[in-house]
Amino acid sequence: MHTAYAYLVGMSIRHGLLALLSVGPRHGYQLRVEFEASTGATWPLNIGQVYTTLSRMERDGLVEQGESDEHGRVVYAITAAGRAEMARWFSTPVAQSDRPRDELVIKLAMAVAAKEVDVVEVIRRQRTATMRTLQQLTRAKRAAMEGAAQRLVLDSMIFQAEAEQRWLDHCEAVLKEER
Amino acid sequence: MTVVRLTEVARVHGEGATAVHALKGVSLEVAPGELVAITGPSGSGKSTLLNLAGGLDRPTSGTVHIDGRDLATVRDLAALRRRSVGYVFQDLNLITSLTAAENVMLPRELDGVRSRLAREEAMTVLAEMDLADLADRFPDELSGGQRQRVAIARALVGERRLLLADEPTGALDTHTGDEILHLLRARCDAGAAVLLVTHEPRYAAWADRVVFLCDGSITDSTDMSLESAR
Repeated sequence: MHTAYAYLVGMSIRHGLLALLSVGPRHGYQLRVEFEASTGATWPLNIGQVYTTLSRMERDGLVEQGESDEHGRVVYAITAAGRAEMARWFSTPVAQSDRPRDELVIKLAMAVAAKEVDVVEVIRRQRTATMRTLQQLTRAKRAAMEGAAQRLVLDSMIFQAEAEQRWLDHCEAVLKEER
Repeated sequence: MTVVRLTEVARVHGEGATAVHALKGVSLEVAPGELVAITGPSGSGKSTLLNLAGGLDRPTSGTVHIDGRDLATVRDLAALRRRSVGYVFQDLNLITSLTAAENVMLPRELDGVRSRLAREEAMTVLAEMDLADLADRFPDELSGGQRQRVAIARALVGERRLLLADEPTGALDTHTGDEILHLLRARCDAGAAVLLVTHEPRYAAWADRVVFLCDGSITDSTDMSLESAR
């Protein structure tokens, strides 16, 4: 994975955990379950990631350990610095340029450059594959009746797949005129 | 068992050098409980296909069967259309001088059903679509999404099991558009066959099977059969 991208993903986990802790103290396992529920299970976390992130956040003064619960699990609570960091995150828009390079865009550009590749066929195959993805996402959305957070995450993926589909239609139309 | 079946259907407008081949030998079946979406660029033949499937236009060659009947041999096509097929279009939907309930009753009354029974049937289908409270409103007293839902109710009243929808989400915002697809999907799950034409991928994705049309031919299909979709 692109290093800067990995860094950004790490940052989002950290802020996501802060947002969940702002509701009240939680232990690691609970945070993992709630994180996955809010993101529609589209972003699975392992428990190791959760505890590594929590200990770094503790080092940075964003969270602190409270008492253990009845099962001996350590409960974490957000600090004032943590709340300030969360507020800063929510008030800062996300930059578009942080996305990793898109393999599909490169593939199509290269298919056009390579001359002997049947670009229209490449587009059609991709479009059918993307449509299957879109169908799966739509089924998942219909099934996700509880939780607006979950549905909105799926909606975001639907909009992205739709944008790709529209771009493929556009490519086909442009290439048709070029020929 | 299929509700509608098109076999090697072609449609040519005009003759000789100026002939336009709108459809070039398309075969397609829709089963009960199945939602099939036709998608493709403008001028690819989507609406021609839908009009042929519903008996609103006749093919130059090939055959169209609805409920097992070859449309070429049906004497009273208008009656068959009225009884078996429901249509939903982007606009030209409702008659503005009639209430929602009266609009839904209309095809049944044209079929000779008594007004009282037609109203009962209309109220049943309106209630199924959460529109009972709006039954006595006129179209211009309804939102765009509500109007389209009334149009779908009208398309489904009676025993019609084939629903043809041409860009039914037209000018609606995506959330309202999703609601329309939710409704079409629910009707499918209740046993109707739906053929949906849309140029929007997000709505096509609600279908069991998405068929891509280009220059009058089917170029591809997601081929999600009914069995594997369940």
